[in-house]
Amino acid sequence: MNKDELITKLKTIIKPYTTNTDAYDNLTEETDFINDLNINSANLVDIILDIEEVFDIVIDNHEMELMLDVKSAVEIIESKLASK
Amino acid sequence: MIGNDIIDLQQSRLESNWQRKGFIEKLFTTDEQLLIKNDEQPEIMVWLLWSMKEAAYKIYNRETKIRAFIPQKLVCNLKQQNDLFVSGKVTCDKNIYHTKTIVAKNFIHTIAVINENELDNVIEIERKAVIKDSNGIPFLSSLLNWQQPVSISHHGQFEKIVCLFS
Repeated sequence: MNKDELITKLKTIIKPYTTNTDAYDNLTEETDFINDLNINSANLVDIILDIEEVFDIVIDNHEMELMLDVKSAVEIIESKLASK
Repeated sequence: MIGNDIIDLQQSRLESNWQRKGFIEKLFTTDEQLLIKNDEQPEIMVWLLWSMKEAAYKIYNRETKIRAFIPQKLVCNLKQQNDLFVSGKVTCDKNIYHTKTIVAKNFIHTIAVINENELDNVIEIERKAVIKDSNGIPFLSSLLNWQQPVSISHHGQFEKIVCLFS
């Protein structure tokens, strides 16, 4: 899976939790889940659980700490997929 | 320093499924999971503990400038529960935050402070008491000391703005 495909999948995951459609439509790697997409912090765990399901990976607590923006999420998913 | 967090329970029922597989395990320590499991109203315990973590994190983040999703590092302990409020503390590394939570029918509201006695010095401000200067920086109008840190929490139909008076 290349990075574009990965981001497309990630976008599908975060869509139901975001309330800022402008930021969502213009999503880049720099997009922040909470500050830009207005995602409720309690829903960050849903995003993490959805990522685990969709990509069939396990995200540990340390990795979860970093899951605040698209860039970190992509990096974590990429490294998990690479070590599969 | 002060932090607060409000949870609109009707909104949380729309936004979150706390019974989802993995939800509790990712957010809460094993001791907290037991509190939830053994409570007569597990849903309320979930959001009570969550609001404690959120309120404490707001101080932690403001003081350390560390930004991270660390729900399990914010360890909750309940001290006293009565009909009016729940008091407790949240520990994060070596930092301790004292909390007081109001559990109402439609919302849960936690206030966190650093010194326990500051819990008696909290005032709620209305949005209309907050005015902004020409740079868009909010401060308190009226007689209140605008240099006091203010914590704003908004969820669903509720908004709480609190600060300490000294």
